[in-house]
Amino acid sequence: MSAIGLPLAFRRRTLPGFSLSLGFTLFYLTSLVLVPLLALLIRPWSLGFEGFWDAVTAPRVLASLRLSFGSAIAAAAIDSVFGLIIAWVLVRYRFPGKGLLDALIDLPFALPTAVAGIALSTLYAPSGWIGSILAEYGIKIAYTPWGVLVAMTFIALPFSVRTIQPVLADMGKDAEEAAATLGATRLQTIFRVALPMILPAILTGAAMAFARAVGEYGSIIFIAGNMPGISQIAPLMIVIKLEQYDYRGAAAIGVVMLAASFIMLLALNGLQAWAAKRR
Amino acid sequence: MARKFRNPTDDPLALKLLLGAIAISFVGLFLVMPLAVVFKEALAKGLGAALTAISDQDSLSSIRLSLIAAGIAVPLNTVFGIAAAWAIAKFDFPGKTFLVTLIDLPFSVSPVVAGLIYVLVFGAQGWFGPYLLDHDVHILFALPGIVLATIFVTFPFVARELIPLMTDQGRDEEEAAATLGASGFQTFRRVTLPNIKWGLLYAVLLCNARALGEFGAVSVVSGKIRGETVTMPLQVQLMYENYDYVGAFSVAAILAMLALLTLALKTLLEWRYADELAASHRR
Amino acid sequence: MSLVIDSVYKKFQRFPALNGASLTAPQGAFVALLGPSGSGKTTLLRILGGLEQADSGAVRFADLNWLDMPARQRKAGFVFQQYALFRHMTVANNIAFGLEVRPRAERPAKAEIQRRVEELLELVQLKDLGKRYPSQLSGGQRQRVALARALAIEPRMLLLDEPFGALDTKVRKELRVWLRHIHDKAGVTSVFVTHDQDEAFEMADLVAVMNKGRIEQVGAPQDVRRDPRTAFVSEFLSA
Repeated sequence: MSAIGLPLAFRRRTLPGFSLSLGFTLFYLTSLVLVPLLALLIRPWSLGFEGFWDAVTAPRVLASLRLSFGSAIAAAAIDSVFGLIIAWVLVRYRFPGKGLLDALIDLPFALPTAVAGIALSTLYAPSGWIGSILAEYGIKIAYTPWGVLVAMTFIALPFSVRTIQPVLADMGKDAEEAAATLGATRLQTIFRVALPMILPAILTGAAMAFARAVGEYGSIIFIAGNMPGISQIAPLMIVIKLEQYDYRGAAAIGVVMLAASFIMLLALNGLQAWAAKRR
Repeated sequence: MARKFRNPTDDPLALKLLLGAIAISFVGLFLVMPLAVVFKEALAKGLGAALTAISDQDSLSSIRLSLIAAGIAVPLNTVFGIAAAWAIAKFDFPGKTFLVTLIDLPFSVSPVVAGLIYVLVFGAQGWFGPYLLDHDVHILFALPGIVLATIFVTFPFVARELIPLMTDQGRDEEEAAATLGASGFQTFRRVTLPNIKWGLLYAVLLCNARALGEFGAVSVVSGKIRGETVTMPLQVQLMYENYDYVGAFSVAAILAMLALLTLALKTLLEWRYADELAASHRR
Repeated sequence: MSLVIDSVYKKFQRFPALNGASLTAPQGAFVALLGPSGSGKTTLLRILGGLEQADSGAVRFADLNWLDMPARQRKAGFVFQQYALFRHMTVANNIAFGLEVRPRAERPAKAEIQRRVEELLELVQLKDLGKRYPSQLSGGQRQRVALARALAIEPRMLLLDEPFGALDTKVRKELRVWLRHIHDKAGVTSVFVTHDQDEAFEMADLVAVMNKGRIEQVGAPQDVRRDPRTAFVSEFLSA
């Protein structure tokens, strides 16, 4: 057969439809994703590296990047702690209504961000249910950077819970039983055995929560206040630059955010590899 | 012998109560309350006012636009998802991992960046800007731009659900069909599709919910022209910024109900068809 | 100080896993619980280890009402079929675990713990592997670590749940001899679950044949073989 000379990858396949499906897939991806991304990667450099650097280190831009990244880290940390507790409760405990609790976790994932945005803004405003209670203690959330943190915590929670949950469920109790027979108390077992075993999942969940939160827009802009230099997130800076027809500046910020996503993706892959090695 | 102690892998009651209380409070505070606020505000002036707000001219056209955009984006993404899953799950080829990573990309990209890239290509100062202007073709600030942005942010959904599903199911059945003489499409329709139908349905639902609710990406490309390029989430924003709270929350309530419906259907699918889903995840 | 198991019953939902199991064994004996799957042998072992609770019945050992104590107080070293090693800890830390979790008053000094770990590593013939992680060891090596870990707490009783079940035949045969040797050296009462007759007869002082939650016959291997007391025992042994 004439196919013998071809590299293995391109010989005739047993199943039909390879070239059609792969071809369509590549076409779709190239036109929708790769080409526009290319535009993003090229644009910031039209005035050279200096132009890029100036665009990115302008005070307002820097402040917005600091706010987006800083809040996302904090939100990921909060979501990791509470996500772990929620996953633990969902996997290890039995109680009426657990199914409902489980289903609710996906809410930030399914709810449109604008809906979440106006709801959170109303809730934490001085006249809102929560905002009014906090106001009595002099705490302001809405229209301050704290609002950004609250919105990010909301939006990223499912990423933490849903990453830890299956790992915890699969873990089995052998190791914990062994620890008990060796004389460990329940608390010792949890901290010395169970938690270290799910640490990779906790970190992965934190990374995914961060990635989601750092680029979030819709659920934040209503509650944030959007004051220049104080409570403007990076995606908002992009929108502002576009409205000013500063395509280059907008693209510069976009590239920074894309780089952050890329690094996060690498970190995640690294985490998976580390976890797999321990098996 | 009476039960004198709990199983060694059970947490002490005090710990259970503590963690349970924390979990429920956190979910109640962060998740349930915002949801409740949506409906509370929508009905703040009674059901009648809410219904009037939704049937307002602008609201109706926003609903129509959202439905049209999703109506184009979701089927296209479904076809893409099926094609990608077919290529990735049933064949081996170099660069497969890279391809899968590429498909996951929109998940890690900010929605605003998703809109930005299309502005950079089709906008007035974009690559094709002058060309489009000359030929009076409107991508941005018109339906095509909105559809493109929606497609970008939602195309991974179907693919991501189908790829592991179809990979798990292996190639045996399809190979058997091929040896029996079935064409590609026949194999897909008669062998693959029945095996993936529940996963596919779930993925389409999720893709649809996300498409209708997309805000950041669409906001950048739409120009927010009243009655023309305003989708439901944008309508929510416009009304909210104009202090029309009942209006904003009423439209938001529709989207929230859609989200709840999606969640309910997901739970139902998982519960009822757990066995089938498990069977379809054969090794 | 013999081990006395008296009429232990245990139901899982509707299923009667143990239906009045009884057994007496002298101190230091190596007892094999032998039977087909579903006979209740693992359930009985787990009850001895404190990992399950009996519905009724009693166990006396070392002058203690055994079933009244929670697992962590029993000092019953347990060796699992799938090793249950702590994958995130080195071999040495696995073995040291039982000593490190002791309350401050009973905990040996760090140097002493290290010494004991070294001693045990030598005993199980894994002398230089202390710094490795379980994922870097073979199945047979992991099971030896599991045994060393259980021995580290100076157990009153050693419980082994089909410890060689996940290993291939050659390794099994080597480990059988070796385990019996370790038992003789340590002198600790051991209860060993298996469905493999050859294994039971080769290793045990006492063989307890189980069926449907009851112990049908207990005796020295050659006695049980020569003189089966019930139809089940004679059929099971001739298979």
